[in-house]
Amino acid sequence: MSRLRSHGLSYLVVGPFAIVLAFPFYWMLITALKTNGDLYNPDHVPFKFTTMNGDPEGHSPTFRHVTFIFHHTHYVRWLENTAFVGGLVVVITLVLAVPAGYALARLSGRLGQSVGIGIFLTYLVPPTLLFLPLSRVISKLGLQDRLWSLVLVYPSFTVPFSTWLLMGFFKTIPFDIEDAAMIDGCSRLKALWRVIVPISVPGILTVVIFSFSLCVNEFIYAITFISGSTHRTLSAGVPTDLIRGDVFFWQSLMAATLIPSILLALLYNCFLDRFIAGFTGGAFR
Amino acid sequence: MYDPGGLEAVARGELERRRARDLLEERRFLAPALIAPAVIFIALLVGVPLGLAVYLSLTDATAGSLTGRWVGLHNFVDAWHNPNFRTALENTIVFTLVTQALIVVGAAVLAHALIRPFRGRWLVRFLILLPWAAPVALSTIGFLWILDSQFSVLNWTLVHDVLPGGGHLYLYKPVNSVLGVIDHLPWVHTGKINPFNPPQWLGQATLAKISIIVIQAWRILPFATVIFLAGLSSIPAEIEDAARIDGATAFRKFWYVTLPLQLPIAVVTLLFGIVFTATDMTVVYVLTNGGPFNSTQVLTTWAYQTGIVSSSLGQGAAVSLYLLPVLVVIAVLMLRFARRVEVT
Amino acid sequence: MAEADDELEELELTGGLTRRDIIRRGVGGFLVLYGGALTKTAVAGVPKFRHKELKHNLRIIQWSHFVPAYDTWFDNVYTKKWGAKHDTDVSVDHINLAQLPARAKAEVAARSGHDIFGHLSPQAGLEDNVINHREVVEEVQHKVGKVGRVGFKSCHNPRTGKWHGFPENFVPDPVHYRRDLFHQVGVKSPNTWEDVLHAAPKLKAIGHPVGIGMSNELDSNMALIALLQCYGGFIQNAHARVTINSKGTRDALNFMHSLYKKGLTNEVFAWTASSNNQGYLAGRLSLALNAISIVRSAEDGHLPFAKSTRLLPIPKGPDRRLGLEHVMGVYTIWNFTSKAQQKLAKRFIADLEINYQAAFKHSKYYNFPAFPNAVHNYRQQLGADPHPPKGKYRILDTIARKYTANIGFPGYSNAAIDEIFNTFLIPQMFAQVAQGKMTPAEAAKAAEREMKPIFAKWRRRKKI
Repeated sequence: MSRLRSHGLSYLVVGPFAIVLAFPFYWMLITALKTNGDLYNPDHVPFKFTTMNGDPEGHSPTFRHVTFIFHHTHYVRWLENTAFVGGLVVVITLVLAVPAGYALARLSGRLGQSVGIGIFLTYLVPPTLLFLPLSRVISKLGLQDRLWSLVLVYPSFTVPFSTWLLMGFFKTIPFDIEDAAMIDGCSRLKALWRVIVPISVPGILTVVIFSFSLCVNEFIYAITFISGSTHRTLSAGVPTDLIRGDVFFWQSLMAATLIPSILLALLYNCFLDRFIAGFTGGAFR
Repeated sequence: MYDPGGLEAVARGELERRRARDLLEERRFLAPALIAPAVIFIALLVGVPLGLAVYLSLTDATAGSLTGRWVGLHNFVDAWHNPNFRTALENTIVFTLVTQALIVVGAAVLAHALIRPFRGRWLVRFLILLPWAAPVALSTIGFLWILDSQFSVLNWTLVHDVLPGGGHLYLYKPVNSVLGVIDHLPWVHTGKINPFNPPQWLGQATLAKISIIVIQAWRILPFATVIFLAGLSSIPAEIEDAARIDGATAFRKFWYVTLPLQLPIAVVTLLFGIVFTATDMTVVYVLTNGGPFNSTQVLTTWAYQTGIVSSSLGQGAAVSLYLLPVLVVIAVLMLRFARRVEVT
Repeated sequence: MAEADDELEELELTGGLTRRDIIRRGVGGFLVLYGGALTKTAVAGVPKFRHKELKHNLRIIQWSHFVPAYDTWFDNVYTKKWGAKHDTDVSVDHINLAQLPARAKAEVAARSGHDIFGHLSPQAGLEDNVINHREVVEEVQHKVGKVGRVGFKSCHNPRTGKWHGFPENFVPDPVHYRRDLFHQVGVKSPNTWEDVLHAAPKLKAIGHPVGIGMSNELDSNMALIALLQCYGGFIQNAHARVTINSKGTRDALNFMHSLYKKGLTNEVFAWTASSNNQGYLAGRLSLALNAISIVRSAEDGHLPFAKSTRLLPIPKGPDRRLGLEHVMGVYTIWNFTSKAQQKLAKRFIADLEINYQAAFKHSKYYNFPAFPNAVHNYRQQLGADPHPPKGKYRILDTIARKYTANIGFPGYSNAAIDEIFNTFLIPQMFAQVAQGKMTPAEAAKAAEREMKPIFAKWRRRKKI
C-alpha cells in the first residue's frame, strides 16, 4: 500500500474517534470560560461566547470561574495530595508486585497459575462492599482523615491487578536470558534485578500507568476516609466543594476536570512512547 | 604457612555463605519469599474485609453496627424477591456486554490505525487518551452537564439552527426521518424528537441506559486501545514477514495470522473491560443515582442504596456478593482460554 | 554495572536506553513532579496543633451551605470567637449534601469521627449510635423557650423517649413565582393548586412552564410530599401506620398527572437539586417550590426579573394548605466519643442555638431556628431586607409558623420515614403515574406494598 494511501486511511479511521473522544473536553473548555449570564441563558449558542448587556461579570469569556478554584478552594492541595498518594502507591505496588509476578511466572509451575488467578480474583471485590469494614480498620490504626489511609488501602486493588499483569509479562521472557546470566555467576535475585527488570520496562511502565490511573479515579474510599478539605484528593474534593447544596458551580467544575485530565493525558502519552519504543526495540522481536 | 585452623575457618565461612545462597536459590524457599509480601498484604486488606462482608451478608446487620443476628441465606433470598434487584442484575449484564462490544471493536480498529507512524500521531494519541486520563468522578460530572435536563448541548445542537447566519439546518429533522424508519421495526418504539420538549437523556429509562453505556465505553476505550497496541506491537516481525513472503492477501493475513495472535490480548482487554464496567459505581451514581425510578440501577448502586442509604447493611452486603461469583467465573474462564491460545 | 549494560546492548535488549538512563529519567521525572508535593504533604502530616496553645479541640462536620457567606462566617468568625472563649480549637469540615449519609455510617462503623455531625434531615436511623440529646434540648429550652413543633416531631422518638438529634434549624419552603408572567396569562397568583393547574397550560404556551420536579432529588421529594399533604394524603398517621393508599393520595396523583400533561416538560424527570434553580434563574420557569436560594441567587446576579419574583406559602389543596421544611439542620453527637468531648459539643450546640440571631442573619434568613424564640422580631428583620420589592420576605415568618410541617406529619420523623425519604419512593410514585406506567390506584397500592416492609423492619428493631 502506498504511503499516502495508508496515511489517508489512518486519518480517516482515527479522525472520527479522536473527535468523539475529545469533544467533551473541548466543550468543557468553552463552558469553563463562560460567564453565568452567558451559560445559563438557553438562547445563547453553547459554542460561542455571547456577552449580555449588563452582565455583572463583564465580558464573556472570562477567567474568573477558573481562578475561583485556585483562590477559593484547596484545589492545588488536592492536586498535590492526589500526586502524593498516586506516587507512593505506585512505588508500593511495584515493590510488592514485581517479585510476586516474577515468582509466579518462573518458579512455581501449576500452583503458580492458580495462585496467580487467585490473586487476580481479589481485584474483583467491589469497594462498595469493603469500605465500611475497612473504615473500622483505618480508625483502629488511627489513620482516619489522613492521606496515609489511602496509601495503605489503594494497593489492595493495584497489587492484584499488577501482579497478574507482570506475571503475564515475565512469562513471555525466554528462560535463556536468566539462565545465561546465572551461568555467568549471578544468583537468581541478581539476575532478576540486573537482567529481567530492565527488559520488562514496558511491563513495569504499564503497571505504573495503570496503578496511577486507578488511584486517581478512586472515589469511594477517598470520600469516606478523609473529611478535611485540605487533605482530600481530587475526586473527593471537587464534588464536595464545588457543589454546594443545590448550586453547581459548573464552570469551575469543568475547569477542575480539565486541568488534571490534560496533565495526565500528556504524562501518559509520554510514557506511551517509551512503552512502544521498548517493544519495537526490545525483547519482543 | 600451613594453618589448618585458619583454612577450616575459611572453609566453614565459605560453606555457610554457599548454604545461605543455596537457600535463596532453593526454589521452594525463594518463590514463597517473593510472593509472600504481596499475598500477606492482599490477605489483610482484601481478605479480612471480604470475610467480614460475607459474615455481614449472613446477618441482619444495620449500617454502622458491623454485627447482627444470624439469618443465614435469608438476605440473598430476600434480595432476589425485590424487583429492583432483578432490574439491577439485568442492567449490570446488559450494560457490561454492550459496552464491551463497543470497546473491543473500537479498540481493535483504533489500534490498527495507530500502530503505524503518521504525521500528527502524537497529538491524536493525546486526544484519544483524554477520556481515560480524566478522573472518572469528574468527567462524569462533566457529562451531567452535557446531558443536563435544561442546558444539554446535545439537545441544543439537535433543536437549534446549526448554520450560522440563518442557514436553517435543524438536525432533529433528518434524525426524525431516521427514527421514523426505525419505528417500523418490530419491538422498537422510538417516537420523534419534539423541539419544544427535547429528549431527556437522563430522565427517560431507555435513553438513560444508552447514555450510561456510551459514557462507560467512552471512558474505557482509550485503555483498551493501549492494550491492543501493546499486543499488536508484540507480534514478532518474523511472522508478519513470513506471511507477506508467502504471498498472503491482506485479508488472509488478518484472518489467519493477526487475529489468532491477537486473541489473547482481546481476551485480556475484554476481561478488564468487564471488570471495570461491572464493578463501577461512580458513573451510574453520579449520572442517575439509579433513576429514573430505579430503572438504571446496577448491582453496585443497588447494594449501596440498600446497605448504606437504607441502612440494611446485611442486605447490601448480600447484593454486592451476587456480583462476585459471576465475575470469578468469567475471569477464570477467560484466563484459561487466554492461556490456551497464547503463543509463547 | 557497565559490563551488564554492555551485555544487554549486545543482545539488543534495551531498545537504545541503558538501565541507567531509564532509572535516571524515571527518578528525575518523579522528583520534579512530586518533589513539591512530597515535601508539602509530608509536612502537612505534622500534628495539627503544634503551634496552637489551645487546650481542647472540637471537630465539626456539616454540609457546604448554599450561602457561601454563611460558611465563611461560621468557620472563620463564629467558631473562632467561641473557641477563644472556651480555650478550644474548633475545626469545621464540609461535605457534599449527597455524601452525608455515607460519611455518617462510615464514622459509626469506624467508631470514631467528628464530635458534632451536622445532618440536613432528622437521622432517626442512627438513634442507637448517638447520645440522648435531651439534656441540650432542655438547657436551650430553659434559656429561650420551648422547641417548635417541627423540631420536636423531627428529633424526638416517642417510642423510646430519646432525642436522637438536636434540631438546630429548619428552612421554610415558599413558592417562588413570576408575578409578571402570571398576570400576563390572567391569573392573579398561585393561591391554590387549582390556580396552578389553570395557569400552567397558558404559561407553557408562552414558553414559561411551571416547575415541579418528579425526579430522585431533594426538591422533588419535598414538593411532592407537601403536595400530598395538601390533598390529604399522608405516608403515615400519628401512630406510625402506613396510610399512603388513600383517596387523598390518589387525588394528588391525578392532579400531578394532569399538571404534567398540560403544563410541564419532560425535563422534570431528570432534574437534579439545582435544576429548578437553574430553570428559574434562566428566566424560563414561572413557578418553583424551593427555599429562598432561588430568589437570593436572582438578587445576587442582578437578574431583571428578580423584582417580579414573589414569595407565597405553598398553594392550598382541597384538604389544607401545608408545606414541609426544605431541609432541617440536625446536630448529632456520637455516643462513642469521650464524655469530655460530648460535654464540649453540647456546650457548643447550646450556645449556637441560644444566640441564633447571628446565624439567622448570616444565612440571609435561610436558617430559621428550631427554637422559635431564639430570635426576636422576625417580621421586622425580614421586612428590613433591602432587596425590592420591600417586605417580600415577611411571608417567610407566616410560612415558618403556620404552614411548615415535619416530614412524616402527622406522625414523627422516624427511621422508616427517613428511609422512604432517602430512597425517593414518593417521586417515583408520581413519576410512574405521570409517565402513564401506572394508574393512580395502582401506584398508591404499589407504594403501600413497598412502604409496609420498611415500617415493619423498623418496628422489629423497636424504633417505631
